[in-house]
Amino acid sequence: MSGIGPMYPNEKPENPYVLVSYAGHLLGNYSSRLCAGCGYGIIGHIFTRLFEDEKLDPKLYPLVLGIGCYSQMLLTVHYKTQKVLSLHGRAPALATGMKMANPQMKPIIFTGDGDCLGIGGNHFIHTCRRNLDCIILIFNNSIYAMTGGQGAPTTLYGANSTTTPYKMFENRSDGIKLALAAGATYVARTTVAHPRTFMKYFRKALKHKGTSVIELITPCVTYFGRKNLDNLGAEHLGLKGEKMDTAGKMIDWIKRNSVRVNQAKFMNEEELFNKYVIGEFRHAPDQPEYSEEYAKIQKIARGGR
Amino acid sequence: MDIGYNKRFLPEGKHLMMGNVAMSEGAIAAGLKFFGGYPITPSTEVIEHLAVRLPQIGGVCMQMEDELASINAVIGASLVGSKAMTATSGPGISLMTETISMAANLEVPFVFCDVQRNGPGTGFVTEPHHNDIGLMRFAGNGEFQVITLAPMSCQELYDLTITAFNFAETYRCPVFIMSDAYLGHLHEVVTLPSKEEVLKRVIDRELPDDYTKKFSYKDDSTGNYVIPKPPVMGTDYCPGMFLSQPHGSEGLPTPKPQVFTEMMIKKITSNIDKICLTDSYKLEDAELIIIAYGLPVRASYRAVDLARKEGIKVGIFRLITIWPFPDEKVKETVKDAKAVIVPELNYTGVIAEQVERVTNLSTPVIRIPNVCEIHHPHDILKVIKEVAK
Repeated sequence: MSGIGPMYPNEKPENPYVLVSYAGHLLGNYSSRLCAGCGYGIIGHIFTRLFEDEKLDPKLYPLVLGIGCYSQMLLTVHYKTQKVLSLHGRAPALATGMKMANPQMKPIIFTGDGDCLGIGGNHFIHTCRRNLDCIILIFNNSIYAMTGGQGAPTTLYGANSTTTPYKMFENRSDGIKLALAAGATYVARTTVAHPRTFMKYFRKALKHKGTSVIELITPCVTYFGRKNLDNLGAEHLGLKGEKMDTAGKMIDWIKRNSVRVNQAKFMNEEELFNKYVIGEFRHAPDQPEYSEEYAKIQKIARGGR
Repeated sequence: MDIGYNKRFLPEGKHLMMGNVAMSEGAIAAGLKFFGGYPITPSTEVIEHLAVRLPQIGGVCMQMEDELASINAVIGASLVGSKAMTATSGPGISLMTETISMAANLEVPFVFCDVQRNGPGTGFVTEPHHNDIGLMRFAGNGEFQVITLAPMSCQELYDLTITAFNFAETYRCPVFIMSDAYLGHLHEVVTLPSKEEVLKRVIDRELPDDYTKKFSYKDDSTGNYVIPKPPVMGTDYCPGMFLSQPHGSEGLPTPKPQVFTEMMIKKITSNIDKICLTDSYKLEDAELIIIAYGLPVRASYRAVDLARKEGIKVGIFRLITIWPFPDEKVKETVKDAKAVIVPELNYTGVIAEQVERVTNLSTPVIRIPNVCEIHHPHDILKVIKEVAK
């Protein structure tokens, strides 16, 4: 924790939701272990806010976290939530067990790009395939930030990282296309630069029955921004970029580099290269959900009674 | 047996069962509610049988995408208050070690049936080979203690599975059942106890009456370690945060990992008398002692009977719990013995090494290694005669 200490009486918290965050509840003040310019503060705050506003029952909405910088987000989320820090990449599998053992639950899974699309890709695919009732939030900062900026499956072509010191030359993995192909029934992508859109999508995912996958593009200034130029994703324009070494520059870049899904229809492949297509990709609320289907199987096994 | 029977308890009396099925029925009797598995020879019958039986009693049997997912789903189910287990073989347990270590840290109870097969690598998949014994003790990174039970018959697979679930609930650690390809596929008559008898033995997942004293591992009045009941997510009896990081005696993260490690070790070692189940056969006047576990015990019984007819004083000390190793009991048993014979279904003699450690090499330990094959009683008898000379 930051060691800020207790708040003085004349101080006011930055916003009314700080005191319901985990660290805020303990210390009476905002506290976080994230770097300056990180997008996870925004996500944690929005999550806390929605959890409070929607009056979600912490007993029915457990939080399953994978391993990554966002594991520290358990300090910034609502203090009432019941959280499990699972193993690297195994969060969807753990949530499957929780959901099936207690079908009233709707686990909310925090995973990252390396967590969900790298090491845990298989669990992600099969959770989507089963259409298990849960929410998977993929935080995509296109880098392995917690271990110090190594290349991730989502690192953009041509980007620098500590394990791709010359340039990234692999094709990138697209969580949304993977989720669509695997059969998730609510699929959307947005960025932390569009917080209200995220709130809208998240509310929709809470009401949706089935696997909801929301990918969030978030900035990592420390390990991605400082090492990369803001002409990423705009190579076809032939601009000379500058380093994205502040949060503002990164948020600007994210806004510039994301394209609405209806806009993307009219763009060619070269223009869409290294871009993030944002928006809603699928909303199929009537698909059979795994735990409900299993309840039917249990009924058959009992002789239809 | 009648597979369409949709009750938790099968009718009292005698049933002809395969080892894997007896183990599954034992688990169901113990209150199993979630099974996550991945088919692997020779443990496949477990998931096949439970896929039929668990939905009948309102449980869930899931075939996950791989072993990693199945063990993680088991941990997830156990966290929300279901008794959960998985069954696999050598290559599966290798994949699952990461999560076994995490479960030990979170102190999540679960039962793990290892139907062993030959290795390393793929090996002879349908042959028994007790070569995962080390893995069943040291699986996973970090220091922690586990419990491993070694049944020798289908009846014991049923009974010891119930015991394994009770151990898991009481000591909150991974509990292994050591089966193997022969035992898993052995068909034997199992005498099932009545429903009341089983229920008397089973320890259910219950929430404590008093939530205020939660997660204290130390009894302040006596200074002893006590193990609180497992917390359940989705109830008030939940710490709010399950981190697989060192936690202190209050259940909160501690900056002193040694306190935590000590707690992990001591919760088992301080209860070693209750955990270590052993059995003896004609040990009173024995000069030679056979220490055995699992299937080789059965051949040893016959060998001992034959040797006794020839006037050789030999007895069997049987380990039912192999991990934690019952140091004191073994020391006490072998202190006057001329020699110890350890027939094992592996080449190295993992338990023989432990006997050597306990006796400080003061007693000769004769191994009878055997790989992928059950000992013939005459093989053991031959060794007994040689040693008796």
